[in-house]
Amino acid sequence: MTESHSSAEATEPPSRTGTWRRVVSVGVVILVLASVWELYKVMGKALELTGPVRPDNVTMPHTWDMVAELFQPVRRGGDLLVLDLLGRSFWTLREAFVGFSIGALVGFGLGVLFARSSLAERAFMPYVVASQTVPILAIAPMVVVWGGRLDVPQWMSVAIISAYLTFFPVAINTLRGLRSPDPTAMELMRSYASKPNEVLWKLQVPSALPYIFTALKISATASVIGALIGELPAGFQTGLGRALLTFSQQFAVQSTKLYATVIVTAIVGILFVGIITLIEHRVLPATRHTEGELARAPEFAT
Amino acid sequence: MTDFVVHAQDVGKVFGAGGGRVEALRGIDVSIGPGEFVSLIGPSGCGKSTLLRLIGDLLSPTEGSLTVNGKPPSQARNDRDYGMVFQKATLLDWRTVQKNVELPLEIMDVDGRAVRAGEMLDLVQLGDFAGHYPWQLSGGMQQRVAIARALAFRPSLLLMDEPFGALDEMTRELMQQEVLRIWAETGTTVVFVTHSIPEAVFLSTRVVVMSARPGRIVDVIETGLSHPRNEDTRESQAYYDKITEVREVLRHEDKP
Repeated sequence: MTESHSSAEATEPPSRTGTWRRVVSVGVVILVLASVWELYKVMGKALELTGPVRPDNVTMPHTWDMVAELFQPVRRGGDLLVLDLLGRSFWTLREAFVGFSIGALVGFGLGVLFARSSLAERAFMPYVVASQTVPILAIAPMVVVWGGRLDVPQWMSVAIISAYLTFFPVAINTLRGLRSPDPTAMELMRSYASKPNEVLWKLQVPSALPYIFTALKISATASVIGALIGELPAGFQTGLGRALLTFSQQFAVQSTKLYATVIVTAIVGILFVGIITLIEHRVLPATRHTEGELARAPEFAT
Repeated sequence: MTDFVVHAQDVGKVFGAGGGRVEALRGIDVSIGPGEFVSLIGPSGCGKSTLLRLIGDLLSPTEGSLTVNGKPPSQARNDRDYGMVFQKATLLDWRTVQKNVELPLEIMDVDGRAVRAGEMLDLVQLGDFAGHYPWQLSGGMQQRVAIARALAFRPSLLLMDEPFGALDEMTRELMQQEVLRIWAETGTTVVFVTHSIPEAVFLSTRVVVMSARPGRIVDVIETGLSHPRNEDTRESQAYYDKITEVREVLRHEDKP
């Protein structure tokens, strides 16, 4: 019966060598992608390609020039681009995080409501789905205008726009997750004469957690996108979305600024998803993570 | 009447209506006294699981009267008279073995949960595995945890729906022995659904033989084997004779 202890090791946190291996593999992937980019430039020049993407230094600047641009001042006498973008990242992350939190709560609430009442599901689900077919670009200015009339701070309006993109995956996956318990588990709870709330918190929500975390990871990236788009109609100059817009207008002159900003924006999204994954790893045992191989218990005799 | 734990009179169950109407059970009369161990056996589709679910108030009868401890099944369920064990152990992955056994006690707001769960795990001889997670246990051990969980709140009636159906033969025989020992120690009334004739005969005081289309009771056979039952019982002539008796009733009824 001692074999059981070996399988318990699967729940321990990854070792230091595992973390290093991951860092190295991420580095290798970035290096390969950068090499492909540079190779395309070299080959494209040699073959005098004009499409699909021109290999010139404006359309496709050298990867090292993008990185170097981060350490140039934004404008003469101004901050380094990297510092400027760092400040903007915090601004945008705040909008995204607040929007994400609101969206996740609303999504979870809707999921619970729909799981409880199929009448509510039939009545509201079509609108929930329809809400996602309306382009966010059309809704964003309205939210900003309405928010302004109600004296809501502008960054909060942006957070609402971000929440609009966030709640949908959470609602759908929460609903699926709440319905995931085995029918016999539901019968078991029934046999204890449990109240609906007990079934929800002791069986359905724990069963739904892997589904919910999958949704939260999707929503984390969606909330950053929502924040970026929401910043465009908003008046302030402080976010990453505004920087993307400004630098894209300067693209023909100096494309490296835009590319550098795109890289920083991507890192912000990755960071957010990373935080969610870390929380997932703390909350769920290794067997229930939504990625990677499942730790499987070896079979042994009774 | 109230002397019976389960008392069914002319109970019928129909699923659906019109073209999709299926008569699952018809004219079920059965009475089960306190401390009995009754098996329901029959071919698939004979409604033995349906009958168990009617008794446990997971389904409602469409005809006849059914009482459990002299009450309607819904009342008995609210009074927490039932412990249930299914073919799947249905343990909650995110809870340790100990916490799984504590689950019904939490819902029923029983004090001294940890101690009670510990006693139950000792009863099923898994005291050393309290801190393990379900996926770290074999199928037989998981099913024993399910039994401990079902008995934790001392229900007067234990309902078991093919609990050993997914286990290998060796484990199965061990588990049968365990269940008889637990039955003797706790004095709980057991209703046990199985499709194994030897299992039904070995475990039961009475075997209810059922037939399909529509599901009905064709015979009730007293096993009359002495207790305690053990490996010697399995090799005794009386045991073989009872298996043959049940088999012949089933075979006779199987013909149209």
